[in-house]
Amino acid sequence: MMQQLTTLIIPLLILLIISHGLIKRVAVYEEFIEGAKEGFNIAVNIIPYLVAMLFAIAIFRASGALDLILNALSPLANIIGFPVEVVSMGVIRPLTGSGSVGVLADLIANYGEDSIIVKMAAVMFGSTETTLYVLAVYFGAIKIKRTEYALQAGLAADLAGFIAAISITYWYFS
Amino acid sequence: MLNKIWASLIILGISFAFAQDVHDEVYNTYNNGVHQQFNLIASDSSLQELTLLIDGYQLNATLLNKQKIHIHLDKHSPKYLHKIASANSQKNKLIAKIISKNNTSITLLLPEIHWQKIREVTQATFDTAEFAVKLALGLIGIMALWLGLMQIIEKSGLINYLVKFVRPLLSWLFPNIPKDHPALASISMNMTANILGLGNAATPLGIKAMQQLQTLNHNKDNASDEMCMFLALNTSSVQLLPPVTLIALMGTQVSELIVPIILATSCSTVTAIVVAKTFAAQRRKKI
Repeated sequence: MMQQLTTLIIPLLILLIISHGLIKRVAVYEEFIEGAKEGFNIAVNIIPYLVAMLFAIAIFRASGALDLILNALSPLANIIGFPVEVVSMGVIRPLTGSGSVGVLADLIANYGEDSIIVKMAAVMFGSTETTLYVLAVYFGAIKIKRTEYALQAGLAADLAGFIAAISITYWYFS
Repeated sequence: MLNKIWASLIILGISFAFAQDVHDEVYNTYNNGVHQQFNLIASDSSLQELTLLIDGYQLNATLLNKQKIHIHLDKHSPKYLHKIASANSQKNKLIAKIISKNNTSITLLLPEIHWQKIREVTQATFDTAEFAVKLALGLIGIMALWLGLMQIIEKSGLINYLVKFVRPLLSWLFPNIPKDHPALASISMNMTANILGLGNAATPLGIKAMQQLQTLNHNKDNASDEMCMFLALNTSSVQLLPPVTLIALMGTQVSELIVPIILATSCSTVTAIVVAKTFAAQRRKKI
């Protein structure tokens, strides 16, 4: 039911917007062009922010420092009873979207879709966003340089999502 | 905070890569300049095509002349051999120097390899700088589409219905946005797209909302309370339907995850709101 809703919503929305515009005698074509022109500028404005963010994360990953941190966390994770693999998802998720897809694909290949580890990682993947990417894109588009407390709030939400994903999945499937 | 996190990712990354390379040099991890003896498993009648045993892997090799041998690599070959090959700007082949050879074994001098991690880090920086541009340019089309539609919504007045509908909830989250401001409509459309798992539509709508929030912002370089709240909401991903990528990866298994995902994402969203509100209250106290 929900899946079908998603398929239908975009064409229906476009239909509503265009026909309502026509009824209100808006020059729909000209106005569309006027709005669409901004798309290019925004995308170009984002580039410096994205380069800055992605290259710093790439250095950190390629150097193996990320793996080192994950290895260091593993004894700690064992004490609390968290599966280590899930911790790697929690660390990588806010940093890189493609990286977290990689981690999830890797977990599925190693443990299978049915395992509790994969379920935890999938819930984590589904319940938070790539915080640093969203920050770079949204603030890049309007050239904000001082992000104030936005990052703290985003990372706090990630941490809460991380803990919630583990405990809720554990409770839901046992 | 962002400055510090950004700088520490770079500094930690480069120093860590550097430390590993120094370690590799000191302990000669890659056996630079060491004569290594390998077993010969088989050779053809002309003694040109050989099979070597390296670290338990069988590798085919071709004699080029008396001094040089060409080792063929494939995806099963040991990783460090591939690293040596790529460090010498070769792919899937390794030219080694023959020191001595008899019927059962061969002693080789493999090409040297230095500063491998630093090399990888450098490559990664160039690759991602290019990738970032591709990513941004890839957004142009979808961005233009949604911003075009948003323009029509504004001009036709459709936006006013939307604002009326969501005002009660949003005016608590964003107390400083004037009642009939179009930013409220953009925010609510972004939220709707997020809830339905339509990431492609959500980003341009969110950017539109940010632009409208920027018109209300007194200091154009600093994020306002509204922006921080809106960003926190977006990073916590309010959603009822799982993202498309997850459906692609997990297949039908995803359906049983919908309830836990909604519960977990509610926790992260509530946290985002509480933290953003707390910071905003603190900032007001300072002023």
